[in-house]
Amino acid sequence: MSEFKIGQREAENVSILELKGYLDAHTAPKLEEAFQGLLKSQRYRIVVNCRDLSYISSAGLGVFMAFIEDVRNNKGDIKLTNMSPKVYNVFDLLGFPLLYEIFKEEKEAVTRFFDRTK
Amino acid sequence: MKLRRLILLGAAFLLVIFKFALDVVEKNVELDLMGFGLIRELLVIASLSLLYFVIDALASRRESTPLRKLGFVLIAMCAMILVSIGLSVSGVGGFDTKNQALVPLDYPSIFLASLAAVAFGIFSIVVFRLLRDLILINRKPAARRNWLIFSALLLGTSLSCLTSRPLDSSVATAILFSFSILFAVMNSFRLPWIVYLTKREKLFSLACGFFLFGGFTALAVQIGTSSLLRKSLLYYSHPLFQFTQLVAIFGALYAGMAFVSTLFHLPTAEAFDRKRSEVSSLHTLSKLVTQVFDFNELVDNVTSMTLQVVGASSCWLEIITAAPAEDGAGASDDGSYAVHVAAMKNIAQEEIDMLVSAERRGIRDTVVNERKAIVVDDIEHDARFVHLKKRRGVAGSLVVVPLVAHTGLAGILYATKKESFGFVRDDVDAISAFADQATVAIENSRLIRESLEKERLYREMLVAQEMQKRLLPQHVPSAPTIDLDAMSTPAFEVGGDYYDFMELGEGRIGIAVGDVSGKGVSAAFYMSEMKGIFQALGRICGSPKEFMVKANEALADSIDKHSFVSLIYAILDSRSGRLTVARAGHCPMLHISGETVAYVRPNGLGMGLSRGQTFDDAIQEEVITLVAGDVCVLYTDGVTEARCGDDEFGYERLMEAARGAREKTAAGIKVEILETVSRFTEQRANDDDLTLVVLKWNGAERRP
Repeated sequence: MSEFKIGQREAENVSILELKGYLDAHTAPKLEEAFQGLLKSQRYRIVVNCRDLSYISSAGLGVFMAFIEDVRNNKGDIKLTNMSPKVYNVFDLLGFPLLYEIFKEEKEAVTRFFDRTK
Repeated sequence: MKLRRLILLGAAFLLVIFKFALDVVEKNVELDLMGFGLIRELLVIASLSLLYFVIDALASRRESTPLRKLGFVLIAMCAMILVSIGLSVSGVGGFDTKNQALVPLDYPSIFLASLAAVAFGIFSIVVFRLLRDLILINRKPAARRNWLIFSALLLGTSLSCLTSRPLDSSVATAILFSFSILFAVMNSFRLPWIVYLTKREKLFSLACGFFLFGGFTALAVQIGTSSLLRKSLLYYSHPLFQFTQLVAIFGALYAGMAFVSTLFHLPTAEAFDRKRSEVSSLHTLSKLVTQVFDFNELVDNVTSMTLQVVGASSCWLEIITAAPAEDGAGASDDGSYAVHVAAMKNIAQEEIDMLVSAERRGIRDTVVNERKAIVVDDIEHDARFVHLKKRRGVAGSLVVVPLVAHTGLAGILYATKKESFGFVRDDVDAISAFADQATVAIENSRLIRESLEKERLYREMLVAQEMQKRLLPQHVPSAPTIDLDAMSTPAFEVGGDYYDFMELGEGRIGIAVGDVSGKGVSAAFYMSEMKGIFQALGRICGSPKEFMVKANEALADSIDKHSFVSLIYAILDSRSGRLTVARAGHCPMLHISGETVAYVRPNGLGMGLSRGQTFDDAIQEEVITLVAGDVCVLYTDGVTEARCGDDEFGYERLMEAARGAREKTAAGIKVEILETVSRFTEQRANDDDLTLVVLKWNGAERRP
């Protein structure tokens, strides 16, 4: 039941992770792996597209927390986009909007990286 | 039983005496009566029949091995030869031939003829009975049929000359006789017992066969040619003569066949012995595997049986403690493994270390990677054993068999022989079979260890569960103005949900509900830490926000990066109904006031997510003043995220459930919500920790 998939692509030097399905304690290691892979290849500009993410648990939220420090120390960021209202509510309850930039559209997040660098 | 046999024996003896008397009478009074001869023959038949019953009873009384039976046949035969020799050296007159009949020349002749004939009769019956047992050892229908036909023919041949004179020969007798011989030959092929003899027993059987063949042939010739023995037997009884003659011939045939057959079985005797000990060892071993849980005893048995069965000069068994990765077949790049010798026979650890080098590409590595048995025929000239060049004579040949379990490689079984080319294919097969048994044993002991460990962990978890229950409030605070109830159940044995109450003085009551990210043991540890923080800081913090800020600081040092705690903390003034709520990333509080239902959701951030100013700024307080009948529900996401397929219980359903039950007591509302959740999830076990605190406001105290 708890199927979880991650798609990864590159757009204008920004790495985009597309999450699909249920992100909970069982599937969190998959996302951890994906982040580790990006950090290993020194890709610190990361956009996580949550369009197809149907559920996120506290263990799933924890994954973002585990990597944000490293990413920001390397002048990068993790930006979140395209959340369904339900998923956004989970992020919002915990106060994630205070810690992460959350966008409606992926494109906004990508261009945001370049606004900053200018 | 014994008495009956004695009576039979006595009767037979009397009949023999009576027959002797008749013989004596016949010599004196020349009665050439047909009837008289017949009476004599009937007496003989009757006495021998009685004797047969006695012998039959004795023979079937106890179980005996084929070889013992063969031995008894030999004894009976020797006795017959002794009787025959005794007769020929007795120097009695003998018999005269007269009108196809035999006339004894003196009384001693009659006496000795009777004695010899009775002895021959008895021993023939013994031989007949014993050979029957040997032939019918495995009771095949064909064997039984052939034996019955042979017995019938034997009897028929004997009885066919019941009325004929001693030297008469009838056509019928001759025909029956030749058929008897035919079936004697057929029956002499029945030698099923030879196959199962050990080599030593086969040698004994060979000797027996040889002497029996010689002895019975001599007897058959004696009886067949015109000797004193022949005449004595014929004189005494023609049927008895036929019977003994046929038994002697049959004995000679059977012994001859046994001799030849054993001779042919002799070369394979050793292999057969080995196979048999192999099978019985495996049998013993597989019994041990299921009965004995002492691992050391089992591997000890495996090695000693290997030693015994294949005749190895040394044998040892190594257990692999860290098996290489399962996937990369043969290509274990970093497939490091450790071995330890679980059992060794006739070899010391140093010798093992020397023989099987621990270096890469050693014989052990090859077996570990390829998982196939390896036979090293000639250690001295084998490239893999160059490191042994200086030390000769450690071993000549070596067999290495992997213990392949379905979970991976369990160990390796080694056997050596002093001589090179010492192991044949059968040896390798046998060692492999033992290795398989050892594998099962190792697997079994591993499973038992695991289940014991599981059992231990389970008990530990039960203890932890009990401990955690104690961390939750044992009773709820009470005040005339409030009705409070709470519950919490972990999804597993322990969980990360937390709730607590604290009386802060001046009628103020603190109510906290929290949730640690993740589940199980790690969550439980943070939960207990939360309890400590709340108990330490709750009393000294005047407002929920102050508590949150201080608690976050306290927690930040110990919590790991990807864990956090969400908490909602409300302080109620039980005199005025003023409720101050702060929320650190936790689910909003449900507030029901009359028909109005709303979630109280002050801004906030989960604890452990950020420290310092960000957190402090994020936390806000919201104050509501309760009116009589108001209900507040604090809960964890186990309630709102309770699942039914893809659907979640959600905030709407919680609202509806609480609103519907708002007239009930706090306990009633709690039960109503839980039942609604349970109905929604269709009674499946909740997959998240679930906590519920219900506060009902009865109205402010009216002061006089």
